[in-house]
Parts: sequence; C-alpha cells; structure tokens
Amino acid sequence: MTGREVINGSLQVLVGSAVVLLVLIVCVRAVRRARERHRQRTVEPLRVLLLELLCAEGDEAAGSLQALSALDDRSWAAVEPTARTILAKVSGHARTSLVGLFEQRGVATRAMADLGRRGSVRKGRAAEVLGLLRHRAAAPRLRVLLVDADPEVRTVAARTLGHIGDPANVPALLNCLHGPHPVPPAVVLQALTAFGAAGHDQVATGLDDAEPLVRAVAVETLGATGGVVWTTRIAAALRADPHIEVRIRAARALGALGTPAGLEPLLDAVRRGQPEPLRVVAARALGRLGASCAAPRLGELLDDPVHRVASTAARALLHVGPTGRDELRRAAGGARGVPAVAHARAVLAEAAIGEEGPRSAAGPAAVGS
Amino acid sequence: MASILVADDDADIRDLVAYKLTQSGHQVIVVDDGLTALKAVRERTVDLALLDIRMPGMSGLDVCRELRAAPKTERLPVILLTARSQEFDVETGFAAGADDYIVKPFSPRELSSRVQAVLARAAR
Repeated sequence: MTGREVINGSLQVLVGSAVVLLVLIVCVRAVRRARERHRQRTVEPLRVLLLELLCAEGDEAAGSLQALSALDDRSWAAVEPTARTILAKVSGHARTSLVGLFEQRGVATRAMADLGRRGSVRKGRAAEVLGLLRHRAAAPRLRVLLVDADPEVRTVAARTLGHIGDPANVPALLNCLHGPHPVPPAVVLQALTAFGAAGHDQVATGLDDAEPLVRAVAVETLGATGGVVWTTRIAAALRADPHIEVRIRAARALGALGTPAGLEPLLDAVRRGQPEPLRVVAARALGRLGASCAAPRLGELLDDPVHRVASTAARALLHVGPTGRDELRRAAGGARGVPAVAHARAVLAEAAIGEEGPRSAAGPAAVGS
Repeated sequence: MASILVADDDADIRDLVAYKLTQSGHQVIVVDDGLTALKAVRERTVDLALLDIRMPGMSGLDVCRELRAAPKTERLPVILLTARSQEFDVETGFAAGADDYIVKPFSPRELSSRVQAVLARAAR
C-alpha cells in the first residue's frame, strides 16, 4: 500500500466518522425534541390542575390534589419537574398544598432513601429535593453528608440544611469548615444566613473557635443577619484576631450592622500600617456605616499612596451624606493633594451621571434593569 | 372586574398570576417583556399593571418610569414583582412611582389581596 492510498483511506474513514457522528447528533436532538414535545403535551392539561391546586381557596384544593396524587407514574414523571420549579416560586398556602402533593406522591420518602445510595449524583439530587420540601426529618442524614467524600454532595448538603432552616443544624454547619476538605465558606455563610436571628446564639459560639475559617464565617453571618448584640465581640475580632481573613470579615460585618460601636474600630482599621486589604474593606464599611464623623478620616485617605484605599475612600464618602460630599468637593477643589483631586472628581462625576440616569426614563443608566 | 396587565418573562409566574387574577374575576393581559407591556398599556384599557422588575430588554422599573412620565398613564396603579431581599430594587421601585411591590416567592392569595387593595385605593 502506497503512502497516497494510506492518506486517502484515512481521509475516507475520517469523513465517514464525521458523517456518522453528524447523523447521530441530529437523531439524538430529534429524539430529545420529540420527547420534550410529548412531555409538554402531557403536562399542558396537568398544568391547569397544578394551577388549580396552587390557587385554591378553602377546601377547593382537595379535588385537584386528589387528581394529581392519583396520576400514573408516567404522567407524574412529566409534570414533576414543572411542579418542582413552581415550588421554589410560591409561598403560603400554595406552597403547603404543593408540599402536600409531593408528600402524597412519596417524593420525600424516595429522596430519603436515595440519600443512603452510593452514587453522588443521586445523593445530591435527593438532598436538593429534600431542601426544596424543607423536610426537617432529613437533617440528621444531611449532617452526615457534610463530610461525604464528594465535594458536590457536601456542598448540596450544607445548602439543603440552610433551606430546612432549623438552627439546631448550626453547629454541624460550622463544624464542616474544619479539616482538610471543608465545605466552601460562601455556601456555609449562605446556609447560616438563612436561619436569620434564630441562629444567632449558635452562630456566636463560632466566634471562639480555634479554626479561623469558622470565626470568619461566624463573624460575617452575624453581620449579615443583624446580630447587633455581638457588635463588641465583632469589634474585638477586628482589632485583635490573629488571622487577617477574620479581621476583614469583621470589618465588613461592622459596616453591615451599622451601629455606632463599630465606628472607632473601623477608623483604626483604615490607618496606615494596617494590612492593605483590611484598609480597603474598612473604608468601604465606613461608607456603609454612614457616620458623618467618619468623613474627615475618609477625606485624609483620598491622598493615600495605595490607589485602592484612596478610591474606596472616595466612594465611601458619597455614602456619608452631605458631609461626605462636602469633603469630596473640597478635595476636588484642591484642598488636599493631587491624587485626592483625581479621586474626588472621578467619584463626583460618576455620581452625577448616576443621578441623571433615573430622570431619563428607560435610558441605559437606569438602575435595576 | 378590572383589566390587569401582567408582565413577567417567567412563564410559571405569568401563568400562576394570570390564573389567580382570572379566578378573582379580573380580565388579564399577559406579556413577557417590558416593551410589549408598554405597548399593551398604550393600546388597550388597563386598570392596573403588575410588572416583574427583572425582565430582558426593558425592566419593570423602566416601564414604571415611562408610565409615570406619560399623562395618559401617570395615575395607572403599578405593582412590582421582585425577588427576595432585593431591598435596593424596592427602594428604586417606589422612587420610580410604583404603588406596591410583591416579593417572590409569593402566595397567590396575598397577591390577589394586594391587587384588590391597590385597585380600591385607586378607585377612591
């Protein structure tokens, strides 16, 4: 066989494979589309039943609940994804009715059984369903999954415990931040935040934990959920915690809490000599705090040699109200150094554009689109 | 019976709101974006607009501002639909001239009561 024949043969095989692959892709897509169309056709009449259930007054729900509960497995399989999507979008009586339907269809029981399976995907999906149903009985099993070998399962378990909303799960959530494979702190923070004020006492135990990540998450949770009772403890963490991440989150928390007790520690945290990331977050937190007496210190920062500190201070001054704006105008007029002029002018110009935005209705600067 | 415009890009929400309001005896016009909502208000008789804040293209806030800017629709009652804890949206919504807001996830019963309350206020 000559070289040319080998090349021709290879090309033919390649083209043949490409054609087969193309046909396969087209077929798979066509089958998927046909299935989806079939599902939609099945769902359409059932969707009305679902809406009846969600919008029912008094005992009216009984009929649609019974009809949906009695659906054959194939019809239920078609309508379940829609019901699941809607479950996350409704509250009150509509949610109670829908959860009742899921319970009657045995969805929670099946999901509980799936939590014990080997496959990570199955476990994760089951946890998600139980979170959607806020199935409290699942909590002990979910706490075990917080140390599952699969990181996805650990993450879903933490998120689900947050959805379930029982503060008794707080210690387990804080605990899953320990060890070599912790659950991502952002996920734990989100779950803990979902408990709101009900979880404060349990979350505050994390302030004394030996693990910096636990202290950091505890501090930020208290800040995000209005734990003003712990302002002094959070201020102490900002001043003296040996770990920078804890101090940064404490600064953020003090800004979010907005109590006067947070002012002095934040003013100290923006001083030169403090770590740069902390100074940036503390300057932002001072703006969020909105205390007019912070304006002079923020004004001084406009001349800071660290660009991020100076630009953050300029933005923070905007949030301090008229005193902050006066400080910016003075700096823009040259009362401070040259860098301060640039930062102040830039922020004032941006603010002016932002203020013009809402007046020009539907303009590109309109907020929230 | 009132004529109510429902604008939301989420089909589930749209269907649910439309079903509930129809059940309450109202006539419902449904659209899935801000521009169509604005067009519908201009071309048809609408007694109340229920607008999702976040829609592709023109947001509910933009639609609300446009309605307030036009003499024909400046008094049209507007209720905004917003996702949970978007405090900023709520503030901006009132600044844009909305009469009320409903936070998602919501209860269809509560939605119906709020619509009734806003319609009653507007009728006074």
